[in-house]
Amino acid sequence: MSPVLPQSVGNEYRMSYERQGDDLVLQMGPQHPSTHGVLRLELVLDGELVKHVRPHIGYLHRCFEKHAEAMTYPQVIPYADRMDYLAAMSMELGYVLTVEKLMGLTELPERLQYIRVIIAELQRIASHLLAIGTFGLDVGAITPFLWCFRDREKILDLFEWASGARLLYNYLWIGGVMQDLPAGFASKALEFLDYFEPRVQELNDLLSFNKIFIERTANVGVLSPEVAISYGIGGPNLRGSGVKWDLRKEEPYGIYERFDFDVPVGTGEFGTLGAAWDRYIVRVREMLESIKILRQALDQLPGGDPNEAMPRRIRPPAGDAYVRTESPRGEIGFYIISDGSENPYRCKGRSPCFTAISAINAIGSGVLVADLVAIVGSLDIVLGEIDR
Amino acid sequence: MVRYFANIWHAFWTPLVGMALTWRHLFMPSVTVQYPDERWELPPNSRMQLFVNMDDCIGCAQCERACPVQCISIETVKALPEDVKETSTGHKIRLHTTKFDIDMAKCCYCNLCTIPCPTECIYMTPSFEDATPDRFDLVYHFTQISPQHAAELAEKARRAEEEEAAPKAARPKRGIAAAVAAEGD
Repeated sequence: MSPVLPQSVGNEYRMSYERQGDDLVLQMGPQHPSTHGVLRLELVLDGELVKHVRPHIGYLHRCFEKHAEAMTYPQVIPYADRMDYLAAMSMELGYVLTVEKLMGLTELPERLQYIRVIIAELQRIASHLLAIGTFGLDVGAITPFLWCFRDREKILDLFEWASGARLLYNYLWIGGVMQDLPAGFASKALEFLDYFEPRVQELNDLLSFNKIFIERTANVGVLSPEVAISYGIGGPNLRGSGVKWDLRKEEPYGIYERFDFDVPVGTGEFGTLGAAWDRYIVRVREMLESIKILRQALDQLPGGDPNEAMPRRIRPPAGDAYVRTESPRGEIGFYIISDGSENPYRCKGRSPCFTAISAINAIGSGVLVADLVAIVGSLDIVLGEIDR
Repeated sequence: MVRYFANIWHAFWTPLVGMALTWRHLFMPSVTVQYPDERWELPPNSRMQLFVNMDDCIGCAQCERACPVQCISIETVKALPEDVKETSTGHKIRLHTTKFDIDMAKCCYCNLCTIPCPTECIYMTPSFEDATPDRFDLVYHFTQISPQHAAELAEKARRAEEEEAAPKAARPKRGIAAAVAAEGD
């Protein structure tokens, strides 16, 4: 005999928070301009004060992990692109490095290693530009959004020139790239960096140190370092809380140990440490660090064929591998189990945005609804990666 | 007290800095492209629309196998020895491709199909204005063989196969095959 299920299981679950008196339950999203996709936040409001936030995810579920089991290893790359569609190159890099570890592919051409760093750092700038622009838009600044998109467009042009696509590239392949960088890519990229570096200063003048913006964000959504670490948050969100943790430094993958760059952390200049403004300014400063890495990498870019070590058949031996890399949004990890066939037996993606959104109640209870918008914007979540 | 006035000063000054920037940008050249009238030149390797040059297709269906979303469907009929043609790359076309459909509505523009092609006859083109009001218009039929002609070719191939098989059947059968044949009689 089957166990008797309590009636209204779902309601029991939903009403697990303390609802008292005139509390209002408000559904924020899934169609809401500030949720950056299709995120639904269930808010319990006392007046305008948020007492409890519960995120509901899954509106963008694409079955990536199960679907990967039916695909061959190269065919998964377009799907990995679609996890974090705003930093598709970084997703590819994480997946490709995992498969290479699984195959024991360590002798890679120098040029390929440099191409990977260049592409990943350009992607980091593009992704941070979008994060900064939309965060500004969330708190009511429209001009920086347009300017950020103007500059991001130039990076997408570079990517289009290299790979042929603008958003979902399928460019980094296992042991190689789809096609070598076009001739003159390095000079074009350096030209872009020369153009872009002063634009960061403009952005600072326009938005970062604007008093209205600081008042709006500097004491909002405080994420203390202890809470951030206990939730497993990574990337700029963690560094905004003052924790110096960057996988490019701590656990260098590829050739990151060759480059000289700093890891910017939040300092709480204008308010509490770990506030939305700190997370924001970490992204701005990270773009400058990426420029530093890019200048070094583009100067040292060696010649040769990046695809000389590309395996013709991709059939990793049985075993498993986990590789974590620093995507623009934090620590992206792929765990792949191989049974020796052409398809992965299991492919698990570890998403940085998922951990970030899981902390939304710790950050967002006790704030005003308008501040919650700023908090969600400052966490820089991408729903494609949360739902996978 | 100093802090109070500093706050007022910052609230007054920093928006002005931003406004000066926006004013300066007002006199900069515009970056907007008036799309249908002005166009960007796309790089030649842009991945927009799939195209198949059927003159070079040998019907090997490697692109079909490489596709992660199964948007390519290919059917082939064996060509008679006298019908075998050559592609511009020097490959022999031993198969008539009677069906080569690409459903661009399903395509994920990943470029995986173009890499294994031995004659490089399937490739991405920079044409991107292919929106249609009906999604079945997005199924592109690339084969130049009409359905009637395809049926004729299939019939021809079947007959040729039978003729080839006929002398074999005439030969005396041995073992199990002979026993089965005898039982059938």
